[in-house]
Amino acid sequence: MAGVPPGPDAAVPPGPAADGGTLPEAGGPSGARAAAARFAPALLGLALGLLALGPALGPGFVLRYDMVFVPDPPPVGPGEGFPRAVPSDLVVALLAQVVPVQAVQKAALLGIFVLAASGAAALVPSRRLGPRLAAAAFYAWNAYLAQRLLLGQWALLLGVAGLPWAVRAAAHSFRGASAEAVRRAGRTPATPGTRETWWARAAWPVRLAVALLPAAVGGFQAMLVSALAVLPVAATARGPAGHPPPAGPPGADPGEPSGGPEADRRPGEAGGRWRVGPAVRRAGGAAAVVVLLSLPWLVPALGSRAVTDPAGVRAFAARADGPFGTVGSLLTLGGIWNSDAGVPGQGTWWSAGVRLALAAVAVWGFARTRAGRAAPYRAGLATAAVAGLGVALAGAFAPGVLGGLIAWWPGFGPLRDGQLYLAPFALLQAVGLGCAVERWNSRAVAAVAAAVPVLVLPTFALGAFGRLAAVDYPDEWRRVQAIVNADPAPGALLSLPWGAHRAFGWNGHRVILDPATKMFRRRVLWNDALLVGLPGGGRLRVAPEDPATAGVDAALRARPGAREAALARLGVRYVLTRAGDDTFRDAATVFTGPEIRLLRLDEGL
Amino acid sequence: MRVLLALAIGAILAVGASVAVVNVGSPTPEPPNRPLYNYGTR
Repeated sequence: MAGVPPGPDAAVPPGPAADGGTLPEAGGPSGARAAAARFAPALLGLALGLLALGPALGPGFVLRYDMVFVPDPPPVGPGEGFPRAVPSDLVVALLAQVVPVQAVQKAALLGIFVLAASGAAALVPSRRLGPRLAAAAFYAWNAYLAQRLLLGQWALLLGVAGLPWAVRAAAHSFRGASAEAVRRAGRTPATPGTRETWWARAAWPVRLAVALLPAAVGGFQAMLVSALAVLPVAATARGPAGHPPPAGPPGADPGEPSGGPEADRRPGEAGGRWRVGPAVRRAGGAAAVVVLLSLPWLVPALGSRAVTDPAGVRAFAARADGPFGTVGSLLTLGGIWNSDAGVPGQGTWWSAGVRLALAAVAVWGFARTRAGRAAPYRAGLATAAVAGLGVALAGAFAPGVLGGLIAWWPGFGPLRDGQLYLAPFALLQAVGLGCAVERWNSRAVAAVAAAVPVLVLPTFALGAFGRLAAVDYPDEWRRVQAIVNADPAPGALLSLPWGAHRAFGWNGHRVILDPATKMFRRRVLWNDALLVGLPGGGRLRVAPEDPATAGVDAALRARPGAREAALARLGVRYVLTRAGDDTFRDAATVFTGPEIRLLRLDEGL
Repeated sequence: MRVLLALAIGAILAVGASVAVVNVGSPTPEPPNRPLYNYGTR
């Protein structure tokens, strides 16, 4: 592969022929190869996605825990409880108007891998392909991503996948008017006070917003994780001191002026100096963008009467999923609260040991990187990683503090599942691995490093060996959905059994959120209390968030005969329950299938 | 030397990965997920 002639401000000199593959200049004689190299991280992400999802990419729906896609999803707004699937469910429903919903789901899942891999590669301060591929593989194939996917949190993973791009936009959106960019644009470099600088400042939040779009679609968890990284990066990013940015996404202009860190430089200033005023302005601008994109879930959340049970801290705290305890699990990007969301075999000494060694190498690689070497996000990303690790550790080792905060204000509720804030740490390790590979400067090291993430967690492949698979809904579900959605009469639907999750035989007994919660155009009343099994065999109950749950709970406890009237008074029109349930004798049976039964509470009860 | 070291590490990891895959791929008496009405088990 041909090397890049060092430009006037080249930060990373091209390596020798045996350097692990230096990116050739696009548009040059080896332009095709340059394009291939540019797209290589995305293609690697696609390959890893195909390998990880495996059987889940077949015809049907992938249903597991929070990942519930339904046929013909109705485009409805948020309900009464905490807006957990806002606006992701609405976006899926709108896309499903033009594309089969199964295709939407598979595109989203594959897109997570592609976006994650290409983004991590773009952050590595190297022009060599090997280090970038190593970072891409690590960020698209690690315990964090695997566990969250096995918990069905695809919406969160949209934000995690877009995180490198958001970090890059916050830190790098102004690339400096490099000589090459100026030559191409046919204009002079930007100087403060000129129209171009004004444009540059205006373009910065737009770029950041575009980079945050996947997180915005994902909803509250995705945006919170993104904010954790974007705000400190925006506040601490310094001009790259005469160095060009790392290789950009396909089609990106490496020298295009916009807003951001370097826009605050004075003429003739060497760059790299951090100043309070611009830092506050950038952080404030980034916060404004984050808040704006959070409005779809923030407004319903602030307007809802949802409550958060502090018991959730104990239920969802990080746990040890390997032989190195909770801290060791978190350092290796595992430690998710749910033992059923673990990657099979990840708890063995071998798997945990090599992943810990890999994490150590990655952190070492990141620590050896200098901020001035085209990594202006370094301080901010490190801050975010430490903060995220701190939140995860707080739930495990100081649950009282976190519980007290949640009891004081339910807004702290999202902190109870602290492990999810490891995303910046995962990104730090990915970039660090790329930097470590860069230091070794060898094709062989680069090739092995790109394969290592898969080799240390091989059982994530093939849908984590069957944990993810595609199934189709039995016909009875579609028929019930059609009946209820065709009824113009108002009234809610009550979903029974009175619990949030189901384990259907047709879905391989995989636990999923009740699909009835997403199938109907009308309000669905369901029990959003969460039952979490404890290692000793007991169960921990996390109180429901939706205030309507208590009323339904009381109605269901009414004596036989009065139950239907009590539910009707709550505005319930339909009851969806198990086929063998004969609790509601005064209700009219609308449909009975092998598994489910639909009842209607007629007026006048 | 670096090449040999990298290849050796890669080979060791590949062997370990093969063992892990065989272990997990072997038939087990339990299904991957138990039919719980739980959200999950810690």
